[in-house]
Amino acid sequence: MTRSRLTLLLLIPTLALLVAFLLLPYVNMVVMSFRTPSTSAVFAPGFTTANYLNALLDPDFYYLEILWDTMVLGFWTTLICLTLGFPLAYHLARTQSRIKTLLYFFILSPLLVGVVIRCYGWMIILGPHNGLINNTLKQLNLIENSLPLMFNTFGVSVGLIHVFLPFMILPLLGSIQAVDPALEEASQSLGASRLKTMFKVIVPLSLPGIQAGSILVFVLTISSFVIPILLGSYKVMIMPTLVVQQIMDAMLWPFGAALAFILSIAGGLVIYVYLKLTARLVPGVQ
Amino acid sequence: MTTLKLKNLTCRFGDVVAVDGIDLEIGDHELVSLLGPSGCGKTTTLRCIAGFESPDGGDILFDQSSVKGLAPEKRDLGMVFQNYALFPHMTVSGNLAYGLQMRKTDQQEIDRRIGETLEIVQLTGLGDRYPNQLSGGQQQRVALARALIIQPRILLLDEPLANLDAKLREEMRFFIRNLQKDIGITTIYVTHDQAESMVMSDRIVVMFDGRIHQIGKPAEIYNFPATQEIADFIGLSNFIACTVSSREADDQYSVDTATGRLRSTTTASHTVGSEVIMMVRPEVITLHSESAQGTHNEIQGTVAEKYYLGNVITYRIRYTDDAILQVQGQPWSTFEVGDSIWCRFDVERSWILPTGSS
Repeated sequence: MTRSRLTLLLLIPTLALLVAFLLLPYVNMVVMSFRTPSTSAVFAPGFTTANYLNALLDPDFYYLEILWDTMVLGFWTTLICLTLGFPLAYHLARTQSRIKTLLYFFILSPLLVGVVIRCYGWMIILGPHNGLINNTLKQLNLIENSLPLMFNTFGVSVGLIHVFLPFMILPLLGSIQAVDPALEEASQSLGASRLKTMFKVIVPLSLPGIQAGSILVFVLTISSFVIPILLGSYKVMIMPTLVVQQIMDAMLWPFGAALAFILSIAGGLVIYVYLKLTARLVPGVQ
Repeated sequence: MTTLKLKNLTCRFGDVVAVDGIDLEIGDHELVSLLGPSGCGKTTTLRCIAGFESPDGGDILFDQSSVKGLAPEKRDLGMVFQNYALFPHMTVSGNLAYGLQMRKTDQQEIDRRIGETLEIVQLTGLGDRYPNQLSGGQQQRVALARALIIQPRILLLDEPLANLDAKLREEMRFFIRNLQKDIGITTIYVTHDQAESMVMSDRIVVMFDGRIHQIGKPAEIYNFPATQEIADFIGLSNFIACTVSSREADDQYSVDTATGRLRSTTTASHTVGSEVIMMVRPEVITLHSESAQGTHNEIQGTVAEKYYLGNVITYRIRYTDDAILQVQGQPWSTFEVGDSIWCRFDVERSWILPTGSS
């Protein structure tokens, strides 16, 4: 047996897994999105593009508005993760601290707690009636009525940013570490302050990490389901919640599938445009 | 331009004293190199001057005014790094423009200066290239151009030639030295390569263990080293252990060695009977088949080894059971292994060093 054949053989288990549990369901969903809806069964015989047209051409723009809200939520979550994550990643990349490993642990800590427990934790803090923040502020007579910290976009964003921050920091960390510290010194010796050095040298050179982290966080956000449900309680409607509602509650499989693909395609387009735009900003990297 | 003064400069990393109270004055237009083995504190000294390390003691003065509290970007220095540290996401022109943009120079002036500077470093036409499209030597010259275009007060060079191959390195020595002389910029050059520092420097500062051991012109350092450690670090030397027997003149002593009485030179004063070391460079010794009968210093020995190097022949002459004298003979010299030989050298070409390393 040749070496390449052996390699192929070793790939088979993974390939089989991917085909059986990723590719086939995907294809099934694509097919599903073109099926004729039915009220008595999962779908009726025959194929149609009505599912897509109904979603896109809805006169009230109901579905497109939810799609837009989803993208906006993805945008803000990504931007805030990047803003919070970059200084952290920079510090972690450059620190000589003896507790560096501990710092890594802190960065990863949100991932070590299950999503439901994490959300209930946030509920205790953000809750409108007996939540830690509202209670404290009321006791101190700083506010009369509860602040709306939960069951809205704010609460959902907090929950999302908390858990997605590591997905931003880790790729950033890798690319900042690859930036030679001598470049920072060169920049300073040429008269740039540390802040200018940050924006003219370090940020552009860590673009691959910024792109990778942003894509991860964006994709995770626009496809998030549990956190928007628990911290948004259906008051924050985004595409994944809508899709699950259509399929599980309304049993409208073909329409739900069509919505899911509209989300995928829209997300893909946003990422494509993002990559094109950022690549143009920094021509020498990549 | 600018004079530089270091006053009792001290810099520690934890328990390690990297720079141990050094004093140094560098004049206008001067190129001074800091020479020493790795870990001697030369790079730390340079980084203190640049502002990348903060000294634990002492002071740094540019033109008599302290820059100690000044951030690196406020010191107005040009620095060339060992790995060049060119910005990979900017073209050559972008790299050159960077420092001028920080100084808010207007675009027309920036373009003019870029053209001018590229011409000086012989890179005209390469302004649109990215650093990774350039050879090592070209990158080196871009780094130099980037440091010079801002017309800094002082130019700092940190082992700038260490990453070049031998032939290019030799060319760049002359190139940088000529450029520095033309511009007349005060320059500090850090290197561990003694040949490089000889060729390029007005003065050499020899450092060991965070301290300055000697400051002098290249010829002084080479011919009249202060200690055996310096003599050993710079060039090749023969060291002959001896005892002072009498003072012959202001700067000449007679000394007794294992092979007889010799005379040597020193500017220090030594008491009769003290143990000293005599240094003789291999190239000052000439080989003869007969004795000069007392007109010169002479050591008799036998040719033990002979190596042909092209421009010279290295002879290793055994003159006592356990002592070897290394001699550079002319390439046409015909002595062979086993020949009995007289090694002759001028009194003025040998030098007495104190015993012990410092």
